[in-house]
Amino acid sequence: MSRGSKRTQRVWLAALQLAVALLILVPFFWMVSVSLKPGTEPFAIPARLWPQNPTLENYVTAFRPEFQTYFLNSLIVSGATVLITVTLALLAAYVFSRAQMRLVSIVMGLVILAQMFPASAIIIPMYKIMREANLLNTYAALIIAYVTVTLPVAIWMLRGFFARLPITLEEAAEMDGAGPMRTFVEIILPLSKPGVVATAVYVLIVTWQEFLFALSFTSTREMRTLPVGINDFIGQYGIRYGELMASSVLISMPVIAVFFLLQRYFVAGLTAGAVKG
Amino acid sequence: MIARERWLVWLFIAPAAILVGVLMYYPMIGTVIESFYSASFISPQPTFVGLKLYNELFANAGFYQIVWNSLVWTVIVVLLQNLLGFLVALLLNQQLPGQGMLRALILLPWVLPGVVAAVLWRFMYDPQLGLINSFLMSLGLTGTGMAWLGEPSMAMGAAIIAAVWKGFPFSTVVYLAALQNVDREQVEAATVDGAGPIARLFDVILPAMREVVMINVILTTVFTFNYFDMIWVLTRGGPQNATHIFPTKIFELGFGQFRFGEAAVYGVFSILVLVLLIMLYFAVQRTGRSWRRSQ
Amino acid sequence: MRRALLIASSLAIVAGSANAQDQITLQFWDNQQTESGLSEYQRAAVERFEEENPDINVEVTTIPYPEYQQRLLTAVQGGNAPDVATLDQIWVGAFAESGSILALDEMAAEAGVEADTFFPGAWESANYGGQLWGIPFNVDVWSFGFYNKALFDEAGIDPESTVTWEGLRNAAAALTGDGRFGIGLFAGRGEDTVVALDSFIFSNGGRVLAEDGSCALDEAPAVEALEYIASLAPYAPAGILNSNSGSMRELFLNGSLAMELWPALEQPTLQKSDLDWGFVVGFAPEGKTPVGAYGGWNLAIFESSEHQEAAWKFIEFMTREDVNGDVVDLIPANVNAAEVFLEENRVGPDRILDHLNNAQPRPVSPRYLEISDIQVTMFQDVFQGVEPQEAADKACTAIDALG
Repeated sequence: MSRGSKRTQRVWLAALQLAVALLILVPFFWMVSVSLKPGTEPFAIPARLWPQNPTLENYVTAFRPEFQTYFLNSLIVSGATVLITVTLALLAAYVFSRAQMRLVSIVMGLVILAQMFPASAIIIPMYKIMREANLLNTYAALIIAYVTVTLPVAIWMLRGFFARLPITLEEAAEMDGAGPMRTFVEIILPLSKPGVVATAVYVLIVTWQEFLFALSFTSTREMRTLPVGINDFIGQYGIRYGELMASSVLISMPVIAVFFLLQRYFVAGLTAGAVKG
Repeated sequence: MIARERWLVWLFIAPAAILVGVLMYYPMIGTVIESFYSASFISPQPTFVGLKLYNELFANAGFYQIVWNSLVWTVIVVLLQNLLGFLVALLLNQQLPGQGMLRALILLPWVLPGVVAAVLWRFMYDPQLGLINSFLMSLGLTGTGMAWLGEPSMAMGAAIIAAVWKGFPFSTVVYLAALQNVDREQVEAATVDGAGPIARLFDVILPAMREVVMINVILTTVFTFNYFDMIWVLTRGGPQNATHIFPTKIFELGFGQFRFGEAAVYGVFSILVLVLLIMLYFAVQRTGRSWRRSQ
Repeated sequence: MRRALLIASSLAIVAGSANAQDQITLQFWDNQQTESGLSEYQRAAVERFEEENPDINVEVTTIPYPEYQQRLLTAVQGGNAPDVATLDQIWVGAFAESGSILALDEMAAEAGVEADTFFPGAWESANYGGQLWGIPFNVDVWSFGFYNKALFDEAGIDPESTVTWEGLRNAAAALTGDGRFGIGLFAGRGEDTVVALDSFIFSNGGRVLAEDGSCALDEAPAVEALEYIASLAPYAPAGILNSNSGSMRELFLNGSLAMELWPALEQPTLQKSDLDWGFVVGFAPEGKTPVGAYGGWNLAIFESSEHQEAAWKFIEFMTREDVNGDVVDLIPANVNAAEVFLEENRVGPDRILDHLNNAQPRPVSPRYLEISDIQVTMFQDVFQGVEPQEAADKACTAIDALG
């Protein structure tokens, strides 16, 4: 291929890259733009890319005291879910990938299959269970529910990861006289870091934005999570877009930040796990 | 070796199995049972009606529309997400300037909370105030604002676009990781044999990624089929039920109109249709493979 | 030192528990007023109530409208419903039929709370099956036609001419064009669609349900109204099948819409804007009087409540003439309170009162939500070009099948 046409090829590719970047970023830009529009300034036709008098007043309103409560709740619930799901998934996925027992495979298969159940179909029976157990309006209800619904996918992700770890590792450890628990803790766990990070990030992102269960299991203001808090700006007759977008920006920032920090590990984890699944 | 200690094996599995069993299977079975009773908020005493609700469902044209909508929605979103995801992954796999930045940005739509993304797109589609119409009008492509979400013929397409935007980054990352894991030697061997880039793609790279593709397609299929937020916020299933899919219908029946028996029947069918869809995918995949092998 | 602490803390415990025994805590749920941030008024009212009734403590939970219905439902199903809550008028039938709220006839009779205290349509909305299930709390009427004076002047049209159907149509036609629209009709899936378009049916003498509960939409008055609405559609903003009152408001505020349909609640928003506005009191064919459709909330006591007496006291308080006006941002349902409220807070109070006294509620039925859904489908059909009689017949078949 001649140098010239290779250059044009690269120019085209770079342009495509730019197009993809724009595709992703334009809605975000719009979100920020709307969030800076004062409530008294009506929406213009055609839409203005930037408000006439940008203001931070929507952010001030969005960052109300309830926001801090919602934020704390989201943090606690998501954080606990990530910890518990990853732990349980690690144990289950490891065994699933190693055990030769048919029954184990069937049970685990059923667990992974459960991710097909539609949330809106199981939510009322789930609600009744929570009520019987007196867990409504507690962190426990949401955490238990979230752990349960994220386990199937988490186990699936980690199983693929473990399947890639050669069994020779454990055989060597056994010959050295190490018991299965010690093998697991000292050899397997450290090696599973990428898979763990990928799963943890996935669970965090999914639970941070979860809406339906949070809506159903909590009724008091004190227990609301961030996504449900968005409803505060949707009235009977209209949506307060400026404040809604400001609130959305605030809600998105933590997960975006976490993701940026951890994205290398996330990709690495997916490499190891999903790839040779 | 852990496989030898049976009690340890079961101990490790127990928490996950118990949680999922109690909180997902038990309610699901409850839903199946509930589908044989007619219960609603106003007559909360469940009365056993056997297959009556099922019969009513089959006689209702609305049911078939929901099935159709769900299939169209799922298949097209999954197709586009995986296709676009793969193409962008290919793009990101070239050594180009600014790539690091893009790779970092790529997952933003997926990370954005679902309800937020849906409200954002709803506003962007607004016939008068939305960004999309303003953009099209400024390009002179259209005279007045088009009602993307207001026309039954366009609403599903508009919803699909929003969902693809939201989800394709995840596929991109998965495929990018897979691309980077393809055996370099095989690719080089093919190049030496004189294979051009297209041939390399179809004969070496794609086959190596087959399992990843399958897993990702299944994951995105399950997720998209049950994806509630986007359509509910965009259109509530309208206009004229043009975008109503199983999750939104179940929610509307159960929580909106308090008709639990009927919601339960839709719940049962939701799983049946999804399972059928996935089995169909496996069947297509298997025939594709044997066709290719016969080449 | 330690001994003193021990004594002090035991005294505190005893004192605390003694109080706890006399203190009743009421759980009160209300719709969250996004528009006006009413919560401070609710809190002030609650404080006033607690002053008058020191043995009752009220915990207020406000819930945003999009989730309110669902929360109430799951709470009732789950057995932890509040003691008192505001119910949208259209939910009363279902809650009554399900047995989850209390019939209030006795309590009302004893306390001397009567129909005359409240607007007739509001009282009607709280009655079902011959019993009283709630006390009207606040009301509003759909719709008033809020108009942009500048646009009307520019086109040389007298806004008052729009009170007749002919007049409205002519005005709308003249005011549409150049990216502007004449009348803010909407038909997205939502209750505001039903309540706004119902008023056209009512103004023509039509009804949704007849006296015997059968569907009346296929009768002449209703069908004529549908035909009329269809004829207005070309002058409404595009995307009618997915728009709602909120989107109409945005267009009105930026000057692209000459007239929007909203209840009186819209006034504070318009006051804050730069628009030069006015309003007409609904629309009716020549020779008939405009009839609006009621919206609003009633207060109800839940059957599961362990403090029904206290709950009743709270309701009596909140609907009292001197209190009702302070705790609502819709219009108080208590007529006397309403007069005062309107004088103080709204432009054109007399005209609003007239519209309120004329208005009719939507059907009180346990299956109202399904009826409403069928009505939305009917309106959407009409806007898509289906013959109004056909759309109405289809709707009536569905409604009558509900049984």
